[in-house]
Amino acid sequence: MGLQRNVSLSTGLRYKGHSPFWAYILHRIGGAGMALFITIHIFSTFADQQGWKIGGLVNNLYTSVPFQIFILFCVLFHAINGLRITILDFFPQKLMPYYRQIIYVQLALFVLVFGFAAVSVVATALGRM
Amino acid sequence: MEVTFKIFRYNPEKDERGNYVTYKIDAHPNDRVLDVLEHIKGKEDGSLSFRRSCAHGICGSDAMRINGRNMLACKTLIRDVGDHITVEPLLGLKVAKDLIVDMEPFFENYRKMLPYLINDSPLPEDGKERLQSPEQRARFDETTKCILCAACTTACPSFWANDEYYGPAALMTAHRFIFDSRDEGAEARLEILSETNGAVRCHTAYNCTEACPRGIHITQAIGELKLAMVTGNID
Repeated sequence: MGLQRNVSLSTGLRYKGHSPFWAYILHRIGGAGMALFITIHIFSTFADQQGWKIGGLVNNLYTSVPFQIFILFCVLFHAINGLRITILDFFPQKLMPYYRQIIYVQLALFVLVFGFAAVSVVATALGRM
Repeated sequence: MEVTFKIFRYNPEKDERGNYVTYKIDAHPNDRVLDVLEHIKGKEDGSLSFRRSCAHGICGSDAMRINGRNMLACKTLIRDVGDHITVEPLLGLKVAKDLIVDMEPFFENYRKMLPYLINDSPLPEDGKERLQSPEQRARFDETTKCILCAACTTACPSFWANDEYYGPAALMTAHRFIFDSRDEGAEARLEILSETNGAVRCHTAYNCTEACPRGIHITQAIGELKLAMVTGNID
């Protein structure tokens, strides 16, 4: 009967959720980014060991400044957002009524930590040049 | 004011896929989206199909996506959503026709929660009511407000990905009975909630809380259920 229920990724992303929904999406992007990093890290180590040239190329990719900043974003957002979720899960009655305000505190903390880390990476890279 | 209504249309007897039809309607800012849909069905296109019953935010029949967000058409004023309005069926349930979705999977999940009072103890000595203090009643007051409109469940990304997940509305039903001091079925319900498709599928995106037309703090209630699952404490 009728159309299938499948909700495509693009349809889901078009749903107009609020800040926690976007935090939910970024949390998953962060997790996927970390999985990608670990996968290519293992691959490049294996390729280096085998003497394949592609190992060096992949190594250059994930040690590049943009990739480092991307991974920093993934790790820090995933960690800080995960911390928020865990804390709220322990105190649903006391803290969850303030979930909107807590998201803003989380974002402020993230911007501070990520900004510091990103500037440090860029400054280090510039110092090496 | 002139309002442009872009409405999702799908006729299973003719269409392979849905499409959007645009209507330009004269409406008052204080009209509800449901009023305009009624107008279109009555005056412009009688084939437009949608559910409605009480039209006062109690029966939960007319939940739909209005400008990309789940709402009740009977509680949404034109002035609150602007003069370009897109109306689509709920996500994650099969579309039967136009704005009507097949609610059976939703109610199937609801029934899994044993949505009735379980108490095999003998009645009190006077043979009348099982009394509750105001505090005991207040413990689950929030979740008694659920009207089963499915706005929460169909706003949940976990449900979009997997319709085996019981969904926020079913979990609200479980909450309503688990924290009822007269009920003795908490253990059985917590067992059901601990299953793979139970409360652990909630990843706290809060779409349910934002979508609930009754203002229920759904994610908080699910959080209370998760805590009860872990600690066994239902006070």
